Amino acid sequence: MKLVTLALAFVVTAFPLASVAQDTSGTAADEQVLLKQIQTNKRGVFADNLKLTEAESKAFWPVYDQYEADLKKLNDRFLQLINDYAAKYDTLTDEQAAAMLKERLGIDRKRTDLRVKYCERIGKVLPGRKALRFAQLESRIDNLAMRNLYTVIPLAR
Amino acid sequence: MKKTLLALSAMAALCAAGGAIAQTSGNMTDQEQLLVSQIQTDKRAVVLKAMNLTDQEVAVFTPIYDEYQAAMKQHYSRGSELLNKYASNYDSMTDAAAKDLLKEVFEQREERTDTLKKYAKKMSGKLPATKVLRFVQIENKLNTLLDWQAAQVIPLVR
Repeated sequence: MKLVTLALAFVVTAFPLASVAQDTSGTAADEQVLLKQIQTNKRGVFADNLKLTEAESKAFWPVYDQYEADLKKLNDRFLQLINDYAAKYDTLTDEQAAAMLKERLGIDRKRTDLRVKYCERIGKVLPGRKALRFAQLESRIDNLAMRNLYTVIPLAR
Repeated sequence: MKKTLLALSAMAALCAAGGAIAQTSGNMTDQEQLLVSQIQTDKRAVVLKAMNLTDQEVAVFTPIYDEYQAAMKQHYSRGSELLNKYASNYDSMTDAAAKDLLKEVFEQREERTDTLKKYAKKMSGKLPATKVLRFVQIENKLNTLLDWQAAQVIPLVR
């Protein structure tokens, strides 16, 4: 298992602003274009798709930025987990696997909770339809990143 | 099985479809398309093959897995109802209806996450932890693929 390859793969998918080489061989060509857009400017992807009024923008962006800051903490934990998995992959014990599983499931739950929390907050500052649109976009971006990640992370043996 | 999995995907897609982002639709790799087709035909067989279990482990795994799938089926049904609600409200979606829908979708997601966690715990102690981890990895990967596929056909809320 190549630690660096795995770490980079996650960085480019889950940390959109990171500027590093990537292996996106598992995704189709125009998805790679989208991934590049997200990596370069995820905020811009939302700006283009939400079509906010000036008043909505003023209320929305501070909440969004706080959301991204909180999400980054969970992504940092996830990155640590992937690095740990990569480093131990060839000799992974059941004890280590159990600890990693616990951490993974914990992060997943916290991610869901974070999305619920912020979509509720966004629902208070944006009309319901735009809040739903935000959730749809965020979920789509996350799905793309995870699909990309799964192409480079092998299953536990 | 195919109907059930589509319902799951449809539920997830309510929060996975995107406007400009949806322009990437239909671009799964050939390998992913093949896997989705296999899952829709017989997910149990796909999972069992991917798990790479010994005969003894199969005997332990399959009853728990079947129970897990039965539990997930309830979430799929709710997802199907949510999709119908989204579709029937789509042209005249109000902000209040969108908020209600969003809340329900998230509740459904939490249930799905919790169900996977519950059954992973149930397998722990009965199977090697590396195999339980593998099960969660497989489920996450398959669900991600199905969610993506479903997102291709559901438009972003206007």
